[in-house]
Amino acid sequence: MNKKGDKLISVYWFAILFIVAAGIVYMVSAFYGKPYDIREAEADILTTKIAGCISEAGYLKEGVLTENFRENFAEICTINFQVEDAYGWRDRGQYYVEVEFLDFGTGQQVFEASEGNSGLKPDCELEGKTLPVCIERSFYSIDENGNQYQVNILSIVRKTEKNVQ
Amino acid sequence: MRSPAKNKLKNKRGNILTENIIFIILNLVFLSILIVFLVSRMGAAAVLEEMHAKQIALMISAAEPGMTIHLDMEKAINIAKKEGINLDDVVTRKDNLITVKLREKGGYSYSFFNDVDISIYPDTTHPEDVTDYVIKINNYKNE
Repeated sequence: MNKKGDKLISVYWFAILFIVAAGIVYMVSAFYGKPYDIREAEADILTTKIAGCISEAGYLKEGVLTENFRENFAEICTINFQVEDAYGWRDRGQYYVEVEFLDFGTGQQVFEASEGNSGLKPDCELEGKTLPVCIERSFYSIDENGNQYQVNILSIVRKTEKNVQ
Repeated sequence: MRSPAKNKLKNKRGNILTENIIFIILNLVFLSILIVFLVSRMGAAAVLEEMHAKQIALMISAAEPGMTIHLDMEKAINIAKKEGINLDDVVTRKDNLITVKLREKGGYSYSFFNDVDISIYPDTTHPEDVTDYVIKINNYKNE
């Protein structure tokens, strides 16, 4: 009788072991099968880079509020939005950055510049993990004449296929 | 001469011991397979390729000319050596695309947006024990 009971227990024991193992295997596969999502870090770095490109120690850098800056924004800020030729990314840009200068007193826009795929901007209004990551930061700066500005930087990184599953 | 009752008792004891040993061995085999699976998943070449490609792309995006970055890639290097990949081909850069390749039929690429000229090479300060890669940010491309 006891022996029968022992055998029954070992069958259950293996059944439990199998269920636990299956659970662990599923969780590990789910965790390591998902790609690392670094888009937020990328957007943060992009924002910091643009901020450093237009302002230093609280003062706007020379030539920022000019047509030349708007036209050569990417070159002046040393950014290159070329991406790998995968998932049709070359045809559809994966980055967008926009910088906006508002008069600190009136809140009116006095200057703006942008680079990248502006088609990504409407996605920032939506919610969902397969959408681009948008980060908006603001800071205060003054120019050499003492004019005060609020500078808004919007950075968007898409690259969904390599960061979200 | 031993009595039949004593013989029966001895056989029963022998059976119980054998069954217990088989049970313990099966448990150990089961757990070992599970541990091997977990370790293989955690240190899988594909996972390391993705991790290092993204890590390097982020570091370059955030770096400035004049910086030299030493990145510990010991696990990845060991896998690459086992797979027979030349250490110069483990981390490569084409335009602004970083590729980490640890297997013959593998590799993971990720782009960075900082328009800089860089050099990436294995740190051969100790040639017999290479564990790091050096990423040198030379200067901005438009300078």
